[in-house]
Amino acid sequence: MVDWRLFEPLFNYARKKSMWIVAFCTGCGGIEMPPLMTSRYDLERFGMMPNPAPRMADLFLITGYVTPKTLKRIIITYEMQPDPKYVMAHGSCPLNGGPYWDSYNAIKHLDKYIPVDVVIAGCMPRPEAVMDGINKMMEMIENGTADGWKRYKENYEWYKKNQDELFGEGWREREARRWLPWLMDKKKE
Amino acid sequence: MADGQEEGVKTMREETIIQKILEKAPYAEGKVRRERRIEFKIPAERIRDFLMLLKEKDFESMMQITVVDWPNDGEYELVYQMWSYTHAVHAFVKTRIPRDLDKARMPTVRDIYPVAETYERDAHDFFGVYFEGNDKMEMPWILDDTEQGLFPYRKDFDWIGYVKKKYKILDRFDEDKDNYVI
Ligand code: SF4
Repeated sequence: MVDWRLFEPLFNYARKKSMWIVAFCTGCGGIEMPPLMTSRYDLERFGMMPNPAPRMADLFLITGYVTPKTLKRIIITYEMQPDPKYVMAHGSCPLNGGPYWDSYNAIKHLDKYIPVDVVIAGCMPRPEAVMDGINKMMEMIENGTADGWKRYKENYEWYKKNQDELFGEGWREREARRWLPWLMDKKKE
Repeated sequence: MADGQEEGVKTMREETIIQKILEKAPYAEGKVRRERRIEFKIPAERIRDFLMLLKEKDFESMMQITVVDWPNDGEYELVYQMWSYTHAVHAFVKTRIPRDLDKARMPTVRDIYPVAETYERDAHDFFGVYFEGNDKMEMPWILDDTEQGLFPYRKDFDWIGYVKKKYKILDRFDEDKDNYVI
């Protein structure tokens, strides 16, 4: 019988060095990704790479303002990711609404709906700031404080309550059914 | 004076385009705004005739339909923005309709410029203008179910009140202040 907790430091080291990113860019921050990925800041030296499938990803970058419509997709994508999963939010928009503090269509506190591990302030943070955030993220993974995925499980009621408050109960099914009539009509033609 | 003459020479081409179009459409008013910008004002019910005419006259592309809300006049101003690749001229086609939701109706121009479908849905979503004949009018567009039917871009939409109600976080702010620090 192996006690896997013994290997936790090794696993954490491996997780830290192989963060794969969900390529899901919201808001303005998507434009900071190309400099991060390309030769100047070269994220791949940290073992990070963008990945089209949430099923294979560890790190979820929220790169800017989040509208309720996007938030639905973000929650679904976040739940698709396997544990352990980490969320990093860029900019003041996910933090407190930023310039969209009075917008009817941008959520103000992202951490009410999904757990966020690292937030980088700034509008938009420069790639250096993002690198700093990534460093912080690595530190937190190594010493086990990046526990957003555990918090999400433990406080699921609270998160679900906030989500339902914003979208109304049963939003997942409603969202899935929303387009059905229009798709069906198309087929008949 | 010299400036005016130069301007006149520069906009000769635009003048001729307008003249040719107005010959066929006596109901419209046209004027040159500046080089490469012309502007027409037409009654709302003639929009289809006029856009067909524009298409004949080499305005191949529709760039946008914008809606401007004039609550004091009780009117929406619809601006159809047309671009001609042949002349490299941008034409604004302006028309006014009442802004009451049950009366804000326009004939669709989707069959003349297929791209209008998108812009018409946009105007319907945000301002509540109904385009008769566009069968995708009720199809979901940008807004979510919660905002559908609120028409948030109308000037009389209670923006801050809605945000307070929806996100429940702005209660500590005072509306009389014009400078907020978050
Ligand atoms: S914080 Fe600034 S840069 Fe970032 S998404 Fe918001 S507005 Fe855009």
